[in-house]
Amino acid sequence: MKLKCIGWLLLCCTALSWGQTADEVRQMMWGPGDKHQKATTFPEKWNNESAVILYKNEVYDYHKFGTNVTYTRSIRKRIKLLDAAAVKEFSEFSYSTKFYSNKAMGSFWRRGSNFIGVRIIKPDGKTLDIDADKEAKEVNNEKKLAIPNLEIGDIIDFYFYSVEPFKSVYDYTFEAVETPLGDVYPTVDLKITLRTENDFFVNFNTYNGAPDLKEIPTGKSNDRLYELTASDLAKNEFPRWFYPLNELPCYKFQVIFARSGKFERLSDGFLSEKESIIKKTVAKEDIFNYYNEKFYPEGDMGPINKFLKDKTFASDEEKIRAVYYFCRHEFFTRYFEGFAVNDANIMYPWGLYSNVIFFRNEVPFVNYFMQFLKRQEISFDIIIATPRYNGSIDDLLIQENVRKLIRVNTKTPVYLEYFNPYTGADQISYTIENSKAYVLEIVKGKRVTDASTVTLPSSTYKDNLSKIKTQVSLVDFNGYKVTRDAAYYGHLKESEQEDKLRFYDFVYEDYEKYGTPKLMELVRNNRQRTQYTKELESLILKMKEKQKENFEANVEGEYDVKVDDYAFSLKNTGRFGKDNPLEVNETFTINANYVKKAGDKYLLELGRFLTSQIEIDKKEIERKNNIYMGFPRSFENEIIFTIPEGYSVSGLDKLNKKVENETGGFTSTAEVQGNQLVIKTLKYYKNYYEPNSNWNKMIQFLDAAYQFTQEKVLLKKN
Amino acid sequence: MKNRIALLFALCTLTSFAQKNLDPTPEEVSKAKVLREKYNKDDIAVLSSVDEVRFDFNNREEKVTVQIDTKEQLMNINHRAVIQKYEFYDSESSINDFSFKFRNDKKALFYVNDELYKDSDLFYNDARVKYSTLDFPVQGYTYFYELTKNYRDVKYCTTFYFQDEFPVVYKKIIFTVPNWLDVELKEFNFNGFAIQKSVVKQDDETIYTYRLENAPALFKEEDSPGRTYLYPHIMVIAKGYQKNNKKTTLFQSHEDLYRWYASLVGLMKNDPAALKAKVTELTQKATTDEAKIKAIYYWVQDNIRYIAFEDGIAGFKPDEAQNVFEKRYGDCKGMANLIKEMLVLAGFDARLTWIGTKHIAYDYNTPSLAVDNHMICTVFYKGKRLFLDGTEKYNALGEYAERIQNKEVMIEDGAKCIIDKVPLGSAAANKELFTAHLTLDGDRMKGAANRSYLGESRVYFQNVYNHFESNKKKELLDNYLARQNKNIKVDGVKTSNLEAREEKLTIDYTLDIANKVSSFDNEIYIDLDFLNEYKGFQLTDRKTDYEFDYKTHYESHIHLTLPAGYKVTKMPENIIENTPNYEVSLTYTLEGNVLVYKKKFSFKNAVLKTSDFEPWRALQKRIVEAYNTQVILTQ
Repeated sequence: MKLKCIGWLLLCCTALSWGQTADEVRQMMWGPGDKHQKATTFPEKWNNESAVILYKNEVYDYHKFGTNVTYTRSIRKRIKLLDAAAVKEFSEFSYSTKFYSNKAMGSFWRRGSNFIGVRIIKPDGKTLDIDADKEAKEVNNEKKLAIPNLEIGDIIDFYFYSVEPFKSVYDYTFEAVETPLGDVYPTVDLKITLRTENDFFVNFNTYNGAPDLKEIPTGKSNDRLYELTASDLAKNEFPRWFYPLNELPCYKFQVIFARSGKFERLSDGFLSEKESIIKKTVAKEDIFNYYNEKFYPEGDMGPINKFLKDKTFASDEEKIRAVYYFCRHEFFTRYFEGFAVNDANIMYPWGLYSNVIFFRNEVPFVNYFMQFLKRQEISFDIIIATPRYNGSIDDLLIQENVRKLIRVNTKTPVYLEYFNPYTGADQISYTIENSKAYVLEIVKGKRVTDASTVTLPSSTYKDNLSKIKTQVSLVDFNGYKVTRDAAYYGHLKESEQEDKLRFYDFVYEDYEKYGTPKLMELVRNNRQRTQYTKELESLILKMKEKQKENFEANVEGEYDVKVDDYAFSLKNTGRFGKDNPLEVNETFTINANYVKKAGDKYLLELGRFLTSQIEIDKKEIERKNNIYMGFPRSFENEIIFTIPEGYSVSGLDKLNKKVENETGGFTSTAEVQGNQLVIKTLKYYKNYYEPNSNWNKMIQFLDAAYQFTQEKVLLKKN
Repeated sequence: MKNRIALLFALCTLTSFAQKNLDPTPEEVSKAKVLREKYNKDDIAVLSSVDEVRFDFNNREEKVTVQIDTKEQLMNINHRAVIQKYEFYDSESSINDFSFKFRNDKKALFYVNDELYKDSDLFYNDARVKYSTLDFPVQGYTYFYELTKNYRDVKYCTTFYFQDEFPVVYKKIIFTVPNWLDVELKEFNFNGFAIQKSVVKQDDETIYTYRLENAPALFKEEDSPGRTYLYPHIMVIAKGYQKNNKKTTLFQSHEDLYRWYASLVGLMKNDPAALKAKVTELTQKATTDEAKIKAIYYWVQDNIRYIAFEDGIAGFKPDEAQNVFEKRYGDCKGMANLIKEMLVLAGFDARLTWIGTKHIAYDYNTPSLAVDNHMICTVFYKGKRLFLDGTEKYNALGEYAERIQNKEVMIEDGAKCIIDKVPLGSAAANKELFTAHLTLDGDRMKGAANRSYLGESRVYFQNVYNHFESNKKKELLDNYLARQNKNIKVDGVKTSNLEAREEKLTIDYTLDIANKVSSFDNEIYIDLDFLNEYKGFQLTDRKTDYEFDYKTHYESHIHLTLPAGYKVTKMPENIIENTPNYEVSLTYTLEGNVLVYKKKFSFKNAVLKTSDFEPWRALQKRIVEAYNTQVILTQ
């Protein structure tokens, strides 16, 4: 019983506390001015679709009166339902009944009103209006509406209309909208409407062939109306390795309310010269103007000075990296134990820390390192980049899409990015690697003097490496004992660290490295310290139980079989640079799998120890989109099979594969060394991006890797 | 730039750390460790749980009321635990105390949530839940839990269980029954449990006390029988009472239950006129009575969506037929009522029928609201009773879903009712057959294949397939036939009418299978079993019967034509095993130059009992061995 949830319009109530009445909204949507009330037809090419959107209209309306801002949004869809799946999809709606704006502050002004309208148009043209107030049931402040009399062939025409008033004395940046024009069903006609007045600045642009936003004359100097119309839109499909905003017709927009020039400067976005001009692009000058006063050196260098005392470094690069890792602890991971005990309700830890400074985002991070580098008289710049999934920085429009980092202009530049527990000082986030970025040039360590562009460093498939050694021996000729040593480097270790490590795996490592006392040592009262320590130990033991279950489940997923006798040990957290690997050792057994009996011989499915590989199916082969991947990467595997005494293996030829081309490759070799069959494989993806014309080349090595997993060797008695 | 995190977390609740300084004693820690060894999958043990059940009389409403006072002591037996303690109630009941105490008897002020309970099977229901989240910081930590729950009418207070989602070390249930009340405390599933019972008669009341020690937690396994089959419990059946010299009958027998149900049915205001045009349209072209019944029954299945409301009395009273018809949705009662009204309009003797699905162990010998949970329609036709379940899809007239087969029904019959049973079906009626005629083409196997489905295997297929979006159906069907296996290529799919109810559903296609044939020296090794059905069906560590969706009967016939000049030198051994609950066979025979591999899995009663598990696991091991054994062809 799937409910049709209303994503961005979660909030709905029928109280008519704001201006319009339900009838007025209804007239607005379905009144005589509705040009789509007769829309029933769609192109024949969509006959086999589940449903077709005959008309979709999104309206965004921004108005103000004094300090009172009113944000009105609506969405209307008129959808022809062509199969039972579509009828089921639209047979139930749910929406909340309480609605309080989370924008700015206030009390009365934070209450909003929402309206819903649903009607069904039967194939004979008869229109049935649903009385939502009467039909809906309320469940825990949410309304649930079962749509009556809905059948295949009907058109469902519905709207959600939200009025959100709030107070804003200064400025307010509305949430950005960035989305392809298409929907989950094909669309006959789409209209996006934007209404604003003075003090609302609009950034809006369309990409990848989407039609432009057009201004519609309103005849009023204050009021502005814009429309984007499009028709004949295919439904969205998001294949593997795809960045929709890079390729599909799409639009992005953001509205910023800024009451005066002063607040315009303070606002959190790139503003146009004046409200009447829609900002479509962000140029180098905009970057400079916006950021030149945003960053400034600031911070107490005491902790760093203490850290550096009596230490010598071979180079500035080495010193900067050491300071980065120290700061990652001092201003970040030092508090993780506190977060853990707080979350587990063990105690309130925050009073125990002295001189608490916690970097919550990029800005204090950048400012602090500006201060450090300025004091050290080391040249640096600030980099303004945007993740590649947002499109090129040339198409930058939304300030929130920007990542800020520091480039230290040492002999080999060092890039410093805001922390997570695993970030390194020698590899930037893969999302911005190899992308064009702006450089805010800093003079004398404090003032932004100019902006230029640069291409950020790339990593190679050799940098981002998963290196796994799997030692395998037969158990009763019916299964295997497996010992697996995995080492993850570069970007490939990041997701593994996120998945595998828990706070205790790295916090105590940092404590030891930087001489930080444990949180429990800060508790003065002996009795309390004993109690809290016991509770923290219990928490960690419980987390370790779950961690092991998680590891084991991951291995079962990788091998696609159930494993037994599982054990793991973490050899290295890999948190200090791209060449410092995350290392994990695992042992387990596999029973009654990957061994086939053939008379007195055995077929061993040793290829399976490469673990599950990507399977490109019939639909994917016909891919039309270009290929967007996170980063180049490689997977090196060594599978060492101990040949039982008195037996030999044959059929190794199929384990020797070599498919290499400009997109990547898969190679494997197999040879007997003493009583061991040693199989080595390398699978690698060379690039971040491949044009669709290279898809077949990728399939060649992906299929080769898959085929390797299917290969068998024959084990027979000598 | 300084961000004082103290400020960030200033919103911590005052109660968060209030339960401290209450460390368990060494004895409690030892006890927790002992219990954890015994119940190594559980975090919590209920050291003691006592339910005291008292009955009273509401003179104004003339209803027998019930009050349940529960007191429990919960102990963390693992390193640490966070649980939710909850209790349900609804429009016929209320919770008047739901509280916790620390081990020193001081109040533990956990926030008590009070929400409507969301059930994924019900669009709306009036069940509410009160719950609190409890954290146990160390092993051996305990809380006391107290609950007072009241029922406004004894008929809604049905069953008491001894077990909980956590193991219960000591459980006591005390019923204090006043002399004016005639109550039966019916015991279910007591066999195998050391439940002690005592009865103490006093002047005005009788006290029944039940005790059970060391009861394991309720099972958390899927595909299990309903709890009424699995666990010992007591059903409260209030048969009548004598007050003010007046004797009042409550639920003495199923006839009383029926009378109450019928009184609710009597409140309906059906308007047959609203259905007349549709009934005429559906039946005018039907040439036989049976065709008319089918036209109506199938139309309801195809056009009325199942949307369930359980709201007070609406949980028992069907919605009016015209409402369901106009809205095109309803729950089981609404659908049954619509079918009945349409059939009556078409001139048939159709009646509402109550039934407890397979999930419920009881029959109508037990007069209780807990006995049934579903409504269908019975049509009396040519001396037979045909049962029509409007909530089914693709169900053919005369075929019955597993969930209602062999279950007692209570059919309306004026002032009385008729007790009957839905017929039992056979596994063979649900046969699914896979056939393939394959030849070797290098290291591939290729050929024609067919799948056919009967009975519930057909219904199951149709429900899944027809749920998909039209434009995805082809791709999904291909993937289903290939079992999402890249080694299996499916092409040229041709099907029978995939919406038809009354014919065998068939799918013809071609197969091209890779990576199942290996050649070494002069020998060819063939993985002839490329589908490995039930390979993972091991039932390891399972404690409860495994229930299938229906009586499954699957057969596979693979015919492999040998390449010229080759003979079979090795093949897996035949397996044939037939027990009351399952029949399995894997046989290999050579018919000329064709190797015929036949496989059958028949789960005759849609269940594997726990007593079947050991032989099943031994059999399953042999099946996997056979799957892992190659057919060898030698030149």
